[in-house]
Amino acid sequence: MSRLAVFLPRRIDLTFLLAFVVLTAVGIAMVYSTTFGTFRAGLSGRQLLFVVFGLAAAAVLAFIDYRILLRYSPWIFAASLLVLVYLPLFGPRIAGSKSWIRLWGGFQIQPSEFVKLSVALLLARLLEGDDRPFLSGKTVAAIAGTIGVPVILILLQPDLGVALTYMPMAGTALFFGGLRARWWILLIVLGTLLVGGSWFLLKEYQKDRIRTFLDPGLAAQGAGYQVRQARIAIGSGGIAGKGWMKGTQSRLGFLPVRHTDFIFAALAEEWGFLGVSGILGLYGLFLARGFAIARDARDRGGAMLTLILTINITTEALVNVAMNVGVLPTTGITLPFVSYGGSSLIACWGMAGLCLSVAYRRFVNV
Amino acid sequence: MTESAREDRRPVLVRLGRVAIGAWVVFLSLFGVYWVEQILRGDEFARQAENNRERSVPVTAPRGLILDRNGAAMAENEPSFALLLYRRETRDLDGSLQYVAALLGRSREDLLKKVERDRTNYDFVPVLLEENLTLAEVGAIEARTLEHPEFVVQTSERRTYKNGTVAAHALGQLGEVSQIQLARMSGRVRPGEAVGQKGVEAAYQDLLAGSSGARTFIIDSYGRETAELERVEPVPGNTLYLTIDLGLQQIAEEYFASRVGAAVALDPKTGEILAFVSSPSVDPNLFTRRVSRKEWAEILEDPDHPLNDRVLQNLYSPGSVWKAFAAYGILKRGIDPSERVHCSGAATFYGRSFRCHGVHGNVDLATALQVSCDVYFYTMGKRLGIDELAEAGHAFGFGRPTGIDLSHEKVGIVPSNAWSLSVRKHPWYPGETISAVIGQGPVLVSPLQMSRAFAALANADGALPTPHLFHIGENFRSGERFIYRPPVKESVPFPPGVRETIVEGLWRVVNVPGGTAYASRVAGLDICGKTGSVQVVGQKDTKKAHLLSYELKDHGWFAGFAPRSDPKIVVVVFVEHGEHGASAAAPLAAKLCAAWLQKPRPALPGAEAAARPAAAQEAPAAGAGNGG
Repeated sequence: MSRLAVFLPRRIDLTFLLAFVVLTAVGIAMVYSTTFGTFRAGLSGRQLLFVVFGLAAAAVLAFIDYRILLRYSPWIFAASLLVLVYLPLFGPRIAGSKSWIRLWGGFQIQPSEFVKLSVALLLARLLEGDDRPFLSGKTVAAIAGTIGVPVILILLQPDLGVALTYMPMAGTALFFGGLRARWWILLIVLGTLLVGGSWFLLKEYQKDRIRTFLDPGLAAQGAGYQVRQARIAIGSGGIAGKGWMKGTQSRLGFLPVRHTDFIFAALAEEWGFLGVSGILGLYGLFLARGFAIARDARDRGGAMLTLILTINITTEALVNVAMNVGVLPTTGITLPFVSYGGSSLIACWGMAGLCLSVAYRRFVNV
Repeated sequence: MTESAREDRRPVLVRLGRVAIGAWVVFLSLFGVYWVEQILRGDEFARQAENNRERSVPVTAPRGLILDRNGAAMAENEPSFALLLYRRETRDLDGSLQYVAALLGRSREDLLKKVERDRTNYDFVPVLLEENLTLAEVGAIEARTLEHPEFVVQTSERRTYKNGTVAAHALGQLGEVSQIQLARMSGRVRPGEAVGQKGVEAAYQDLLAGSSGARTFIIDSYGRETAELERVEPVPGNTLYLTIDLGLQQIAEEYFASRVGAAVALDPKTGEILAFVSSPSVDPNLFTRRVSRKEWAEILEDPDHPLNDRVLQNLYSPGSVWKAFAAYGILKRGIDPSERVHCSGAATFYGRSFRCHGVHGNVDLATALQVSCDVYFYTMGKRLGIDELAEAGHAFGFGRPTGIDLSHEKVGIVPSNAWSLSVRKHPWYPGETISAVIGQGPVLVSPLQMSRAFAALANADGALPTPHLFHIGENFRSGERFIYRPPVKESVPFPPGVRETIVEGLWRVVNVPGGTAYASRVAGLDICGKTGSVQVVGQKDTKKAHLLSYELKDHGWFAGFAPRSDPKIVVVVFVEHGEHGASAAAPLAAKLCAAWLQKPRPALPGAEAAARPAAAQEAPAAGAGNGG
């Protein structure tokens, strides 16, 4: 077999690739539309530049055998923890939190987005090492630590939005690793008590602080302003939408943070229910192919890695879509591949690259 | 290996099936929600989007009024117009700023800076571009709302000080909130808002500020307001009654119209400041509108430093006024006040001749105070030594803050052996005591400290009151009042008879021929006090003083109280380059005493509130909180 055969397209999961490439392209179009004519114009060009970096990240991660990455995942994890410890101590304070590292040329990266990759790798390795129908207590503890330590460090920055995006990984790891029903019940009861109980113990002003922390718009404007405006944007889009760059809600600026958190509402306004269906369809396709890659993966580690990554990305997307229409509270979770933001985009492409790596090496005798 | 891996996979595949079902349910639900919103309710939302020109503007709370003790206005509010920029309405920021910069005669860069400052804020929160627009500017902007819907004129209230420079240093001023203040008062103030920067306005910022409201309204496509959606009313700030008596204040201000210096009048029992003058001063109204570069330069380059608060931030040698406290040291030592010292116009100590300003013959303590005989005090000062003199100064509160409810108070210097060793790194020279005892040398005090010390001489129990400007706070809505709560009382430990002996001397200063302030006596008032003059440079020949230029003339002090029994007012007057306390300072002190003591007593607003001590808690806390 010639060396060229190694790169045969049939070994690359083209449908999976197509799904996130189209999502990214839609994202650039929407960032362009939502920032055109404002002082943020030009962000779409930057987003395009981020895609180049994303492509590089994906290519590198797809090219390396994920088995090697799994083997070294504890070291990768340890290195990323160092970065997360550095940030709250020495990181520059930008817009109230120490979540960023400044780079050259006015660019900055948000390490917490990239740490997700190392967490996913370590989780996959842990699950590979415990392949009984139900996880041992030791593995559960290791999973809790793998998620809990970075999440606590991220909360210290503080960045609740990104910390929340780690949660689906915990759920996925525990579910696919296998947990007996009584443990699930315990987890749910404990979680409810912790969240609900602490809410009742808080004083009113503390609750207000949390509300404004979750949603800064609340402080600046009457409550519910953002959600009201986003719903008007989505609803007024109708079936076919108002057309690209013609959304009044978005163009006139009624829609808050429309190039990041609320980009889906802008899309729904301009491209209507058809556009919404298309985007949801692409995420559905992405998830379905993720499941297929996991099913066909050569080993348990690859399957787990793919499941953790694709479920994490899709959950984030679904939460954002629900948040835009007011079904879930505003929490600062962005739409993967679509929302403006270099770190998130590059990290998502890196995750997709890992999944492609698993798909590429699905045959045992490569 | 492959086979075993396949075997292990089965529970995973079962779980995968479950997750897949769950995921599709979520996908379908979201499709459903968007179906309802976009297709079933699409027309309804489309209509809302059509009419949707919702805007929200913060409504700044009216700042609390500042009144004098009788309720006469000192700081009020009047309508003013501010220009807001809505970034989300802005298509072409450069063009918009160019247009408005030309209209207001401002540089585009200045305006751009204000926009940049708000960059991290949501773009539906307006940027405060400019305050205090003229009616002509408002008209010009309103006329072009169609082309420039991004600009909105907001009507608010502007601080006005209708008496201009009267009590300017006590009132302080407003200014745009600084980045540091913004961080310290997070949540309570927005960028671009005015907060107290000095004086009472700063010390009681929290009390005066109230809390702002917001109104949300709908505008049509022409930018006109069509309906109000939501209105959160601002809560106005508390009304503040100061202890100042505007009538007394005016008398002192008039006197200082052509002079440089400071004056303080106190109620000795309570520490209430009745008049507070630091001259010259800057009209605080200047800071509530745009201050031009030229105006700023004039203020900063004024050789009389009008921004300095001479009452509590400038330090001066006390001069002969210090003799009143040296007298305390002398008597405390147990020296007989009737012991006489011979004054022949000069005396020699430590091999150096020290002059007196006259030839006084044999003088006892009371006479020495009356005629301000230096030789008597030189002699006694030598006998006491610097540490006992320092102890006397400390007893009257010198060398430490008076505790006034304004910030940045200076504490001055009461020299002693320990002070000399720690500050100057060499021991105190005994010869220096001879000039220190008559208030020259390193001794430095503020006029405010002087007034507090004289209050202790005035009070029969020697109490040292805490001078303060806060009298009564009044909640704008409920009318609930809270009064000033004095901190722990200090007092001067007068041995029996000591205070009476000093007061006798101080009484003679004004009321017995030969007293240095005899010219300023007022029949029936029994003013007691002490004059002082402070050498600006060492004068070789005092007789040529009238030939000296203004800058070289002595500073003049007068500090006193009236009436002699049960004093009701303490007055300290300090005139820079006034030459003599007797001629420059004492006349105003006499005027203030006369005005206060001969004034019919109206029922003070404090009388009623004082009966409600339960509410008397907030005030000192507010003062202390802003003292830093």
